[in-house]
Amino acid sequence: MLTRINVGPIHPSTHGVLRLVVTLDGDTIVDVEPHIGFLHRGVEKLAENRMYMQSESYMEKIDYVAPMAYSDLYVAAVEEAMGIHPKERAKYVRLILLEFQRIASHLLWLGAFCNDLGQIFTMFMWTMKDRDLILNLLQDVTGSRMFYVNMRLGGVSIDLPPNFEEHANKLLDYLEKRFKDYETFLEKNPVFIERTKDVGILKREDAIALGVTGPVLRASGVNFDVRRDYAYYVYEKLHFIPQVQTKGDSFARYKVRMREMKESIKLIRDALKLMPEGDALGMPIKLISPPVKESEVIVRRELPRGEGMIFMVTDKQRPYRLAIRAPSFINLSALRYIAKGARYADLFSILGSLDLVMADVDR
Amino acid sequence: MLTDSFGRLIVEVIAIFILIVFFDYTFGWLERKSIAKAQFRHGPTYVGKFGILQNLADIVKLLAKENIIPKNADKLVFSTVPLLLLALFIFLIYLLPFPDSLGIDISVGLLAIFVLLSFAPLLIFLTGAASGNKFSLISAQRSVIMSLAYEVPLILSVAAVALYAGSFNIADIVNSQAKIPFIVLMPIGFVVFFIAMLAELERPPFDLREADSELIAGWLVDVGAPYYAVALFVDYTRMFLGSLLISLLFLGGWLGPYLPGLIWLLIKAFVAAVVIVIMRATTVRMRLDRLMRFGWFWLLPLAVLNIILTFMLFVK
Repeated sequence: MLTRINVGPIHPSTHGVLRLVVTLDGDTIVDVEPHIGFLHRGVEKLAENRMYMQSESYMEKIDYVAPMAYSDLYVAAVEEAMGIHPKERAKYVRLILLEFQRIASHLLWLGAFCNDLGQIFTMFMWTMKDRDLILNLLQDVTGSRMFYVNMRLGGVSIDLPPNFEEHANKLLDYLEKRFKDYETFLEKNPVFIERTKDVGILKREDAIALGVTGPVLRASGVNFDVRRDYAYYVYEKLHFIPQVQTKGDSFARYKVRMREMKESIKLIRDALKLMPEGDALGMPIKLISPPVKESEVIVRRELPRGEGMIFMVTDKQRPYRLAIRAPSFINLSALRYIAKGARYADLFSILGSLDLVMADVDR
Repeated sequence: MLTDSFGRLIVEVIAIFILIVFFDYTFGWLERKSIAKAQFRHGPTYVGKFGILQNLADIVKLLAKENIIPKNADKLVFSTVPLLLLALFIFLIYLLPFPDSLGIDISVGLLAIFVLLSFAPLLIFLTGAASGNKFSLISAQRSVIMSLAYEVPLILSVAAVALYAGSFNIADIVNSQAKIPFIVLMPIGFVVFFIAMLAELERPPFDLREADSELIAGWLVDVGAPYYAVALFVDYTRMFLGSLLISLLFLGGWLGPYLPGLIWLLIKAFVAAVVIVIMRATTVRMRLDRLMRFGWFWLLPLAVLNIILTFMLFVK
């Protein structure tokens, strides 16, 4: 006999306002039907009615866990449209801030994932404490803890403070130690291994066919990372290596994110060493922006959750049409295929391992 | 003569009830504080010194709220079974012997306790099934299936204890640990008993019935605030029972130097309880089918091995 259960939109483990209609046969999932749109704000339409640089703060609210990545994506699209190239130092500054943002985002994911597996917020509190230190560092730079709005055309709004390198290195050393602790804590726990290994397997072909990106794709054995394959800023100078796992299960997704955080630490260290002196400040926000050169632009960036893309048809002072490819949205679409045949208890470990932000799904 | 023993019985009943309330309350506070400590938090601080009165405030709040019984629920079952569950666990504690000949000391205490204890999953099943909520129903199913996984190893590990002591009387079992506690003599049995007891107490990693990240609150999804207070009382009383059983059967009960017996018993019970709380803070939840596999492929053979070893080494 089949049972249909309505999970969410108010449920402890749906990471926001996701509604899942789950059909169960005993304890086995027959079908999962995601219902989305509870957090739809129409960001794409809002952007059509605003001057180019007015939309940046809206873009940050798409993904409130890693806001800076989205503001970078949007500003890069506008820069592309106007033919502006970021200054050399600004490239490094952006890369460093974005990689810090990636670590912060993955840390929050790690905590929330353990929560989904049934821990009572212990890992969550630990990773939040570490994330807090990163937020403090970003606050020192931008003056804001959550929504930074630090990207400007051709550079950043506020350059790194003079003692940034020292603080950052200290923080990175600390984080490296913490990651080692987390790895021991989780990977030596047989229950954690049991709950994640061979759970929610996404095969390589399926992953490509479904169009998932980011850590979810790399966990399925596809060696693709926008940071390397469509390198932007100074990623190719820093010998960036994408982290790939072959298994495609929840554990592989965990492992990819864990390794990515370590890779980010390496990237930031290298970038801090190579960073040139000079000016990194971009143009201040003015009502009238520079003239637009391109009529259509498409930009892609590796966001913490996957590949983000903006397709923009430009007008004189504001976008004529803006389309955002949100990584969480595409990754959520894979849930139905992964979760089929899994146990009900594994639904949330699979959902958690996809790293969804509902604001990003609904836009 | 009759009035004398009756008067003593009344005094004992009240004394043990005070003991239960004392443990429940202190443990509730200790659990919040120690989990907070593990998570870099402070825990309750505002109400009373070190937040010691926070739980009292919570109980008052819960009891002052309206009791809502859902429309789909079976009203009679839904409103009586949680109370029965509480009564069951309190009654089970009355069956335990306490030092200074406090408590009822019956000759088949061990049997009685574990027979009655196996009613608990059934009562939880009734509450969950009666509440008319699908999450509760899943939780109710899990409750019954879980009891299949851990009940047999639990009984077998206890059987080894009874085998060694040569008695079903818990006081005798405690006294036979006068030289060496059973945790040293049969470590395998202790591990099996402890793990099965974790499942019985609905503590992580076996909190599948209450699984908050999957089933919201399991069989407690639809209970109103006063019944939730009852459920908390059940949880803590169950914890008292579990940690008392662990300390009586394996840690030497009230035996110990210098301090009076009751203090030793409480210290051992609190230590067992805090260990369980630390496990709660760190492990993730097990899955139902894995628990079944674990119960039948690991716990059961280990329990049987423990019985064989006990028989060969000590009894023969």
